[in-house]
Amino acid sequence: MNSEPLPKPAASFLALLRRALTFTSAKARLVVLVALCLGFAFSSPYFLTSKNLVNVVLNAAVVGILACPSTLLLVARQVDLSVGSAVGFAATALTVVAEKGLGLTAAVFAAIGAAMAVALINAVAITRLRVNSLIATLGTMAAFRGAAKLIGGGRSISVDGFGFLGQFRFTIPGTEFRLPFAVLLLLAVAALFAFLMRYTRYGLHMYAMGANPKAARLAGVALELNVVKAFLLSGAAVALASLIRVSEIGATGPSTGMGLEFLAITGVILGGASLGGGRGTIGGTIVAILILAVLDNGLTLMRITSYWQEVVRGALLVAAVAFDQLRLRRGKPEVRFEL
Amino acid sequence: MSKTPAAGLGSVSVAAGLRVPASASRAPAAGLGSVSVAAGSGVTVSASKASAAASKAATDSPSAPAPAPLLEAENLSKRFGAVEALCSVSFSINAGEVVGLVGDNGAGKSTFVNIVSGVLHPTSGHVRFDGNLLDLANPAAARDAGIETVYQGLALVEMFDIASNFYLGREVLRTGIRRPLGVLNRRLMRNRSKASIEQIAAKFPDLAAAVETMSGGQRQIVAIAKAAFWGGRLLLLDEPTAALGVQESASVLELIRGLAADSNRAMIMIAHNLQHIWSVCTRILVLRRGSLAADLQREETTPEEVVAYITGVR
Ligand SMILES: Nc1ncnc2c1ncn2[C@@H]1O[C@H](COP(=O)(O)OP(=O)(O)OP(=O)(O)O)[C@@H](O)[C@H]1O
Ligand SMILES: [Mg+2]
Repeated sequence: MNSEPLPKPAASFLALLRRALTFTSAKARLVVLVALCLGFAFSSPYFLTSKNLVNVVLNAAVVGILACPSTLLLVARQVDLSVGSAVGFAATALTVVAEKGLGLTAAVFAAIGAAMAVALINAVAITRLRVNSLIATLGTMAAFRGAAKLIGGGRSISVDGFGFLGQFRFTIPGTEFRLPFAVLLLLAVAALFAFLMRYTRYGLHMYAMGANPKAARLAGVALELNVVKAFLLSGAAVALASLIRVSEIGATGPSTGMGLEFLAITGVILGGASLGGGRGTIGGTIVAILILAVLDNGLTLMRITSYWQEVVRGALLVAAVAFDQLRLRRGKPEVRFEL
Repeated sequence: MSKTPAAGLGSVSVAAGLRVPASASRAPAAGLGSVSVAAGSGVTVSASKASAAASKAATDSPSAPAPAPLLEAENLSKRFGAVEALCSVSFSINAGEVVGLVGDNGAGKSTFVNIVSGVLHPTSGHVRFDGNLLDLANPAAARDAGIETVYQGLALVEMFDIASNFYLGREVLRTGIRRPLGVLNRRLMRNRSKASIEQIAAKFPDLAAAVETMSGGQRQIVAIAKAAFWGGRLLLLDEPTAALGVQESASVLELIRGLAADSNRAMIMIAHNLQHIWSVCTRILVLRRGSLAADLQREETTPEEVVAYITGVR
């Protein structure tokens, strides 16, 4: 037999792919983000202006705030599809109460109460009635979109004097960069969740519940209680997001908050969390949310219709999962909990 | 709060003193210090054979007072619908005993272990541990009483490293203002579990590696080392050698024998391989269709007799 090695054309491509995949996707995401920014900077002179960049991060703020608890949930194999409708419901509760002349404080409390009510219903349905979180929150997603239209009468309702959260800007000294308050809120929320997931017993238990629920239960982890806590955190994020949304726009309508759940979950998955649980980080999610925001903004600047933006977002979600699967099959999972 | 783990495996030797005759007391003290299982590719097991002999000397010693049983199962029964997995099983085990629990598939062995470890509620009957009625409400209660379990199928979180698996459910928190926040004391947990596992398995490839990257034998060693780490007084090992090759089985059995050398500890090991039972256990319980078919001393029986009890010929 001839011992000369056969030429393998496929080998070089596979080797290339393998190298691309071992390049940890945390770095890969950053590279994508920078590449997108560079690309858009070249194609539109307007992209790098401080006004536009502020717009990008402002758009990322609401989605990012919702994506933090979504990351925590997905790590424990739970999902909250109701956040978009819950934002709509809470925001509408605010404008309705304000419209009745009960005062802004009462209106804010109405929004918080509405958001926590949705969270509580989710938590009870999942832990007490044992409905799978995907189904339970799909149900509340539909139900509270309807409830928002019921209490708001399907009208557009405006509110005056509630602009602080959405419109206040911090001028960074020495620059013309005027950072929106909402972005600072996003940073605070992200820092809180990153701390929770990385450094606390609660975070460790959530990873364990996603990675191996049976082992977690045998180890004495309080599965149900931890899920309830995570949904309440999701409710708190919804409350904050709804306040920011109303404050930005100054009004609510029947479609307020629509599609936010899709953006948040796309961000979480693009950020490296696995549907199988046990994997995912806040850092990854935030970078992914920025990628989505830059993409939206850049495509708009290039005058590409928003219909195409939706196509791109959907394709990105599927591509992110496919990439995740490919990477898992190559071994070397990226994120795992390690003491 | 949770108890602190035995300082590494060194604690195993501390126990030796009490009932052991002076001549033998040194051997178990050497106990686990000298057990070293190579968890890597090689085997090189070097346990002190003397330690097992010494613990036997301790239990056989005529001067030892009759000890109160450590574990007493009283009329334990468990039904799963129409299936009677356990029917009125009673027996007791003393400290220092290493009991092999055998029986065919579905005989009720895991059911028994799961009841004692607090995972399953018995339909009737109860368990005394150290003279006290055991609260069979949950795994944490059994653990706190001093019962450590290596479950069939292991119950390790495969994505986690060894330290996280050792401490899952019994985490050490930072003190001061970080305590109410539930902040983990990572360094302490990492160092303690590292010291412990290195004592048992000298050549573990990468202590920070996820358990999912380890071989079946290494995973078993991690699970057993965890049980030993917490210094349980009763170890329940459900099929620790199932699905292991010859060399890995030998490593795991060597580790179990080292742990069995502690005369203050009792152990129940389930296995289908009677050779494995013979190499570790001093007493053999046979379950058949949920009932206790035989309770035999190893010295007074043969594998043939045990097989006869398992299959129901006797
Ligand atoms: N959760 C359960 N629900 C219903 N039936 C069960 C359950 N667990 C065990 N059983 C039944 O109880 C009986 C005893 O099962 P058990 O797992 O204790 O057997 P085992 O002796 O450990 O067998 P193996 O050697 O195969 O592990 C079997 O008939 C089994 O089908
Ligand atoms: Mg079994």
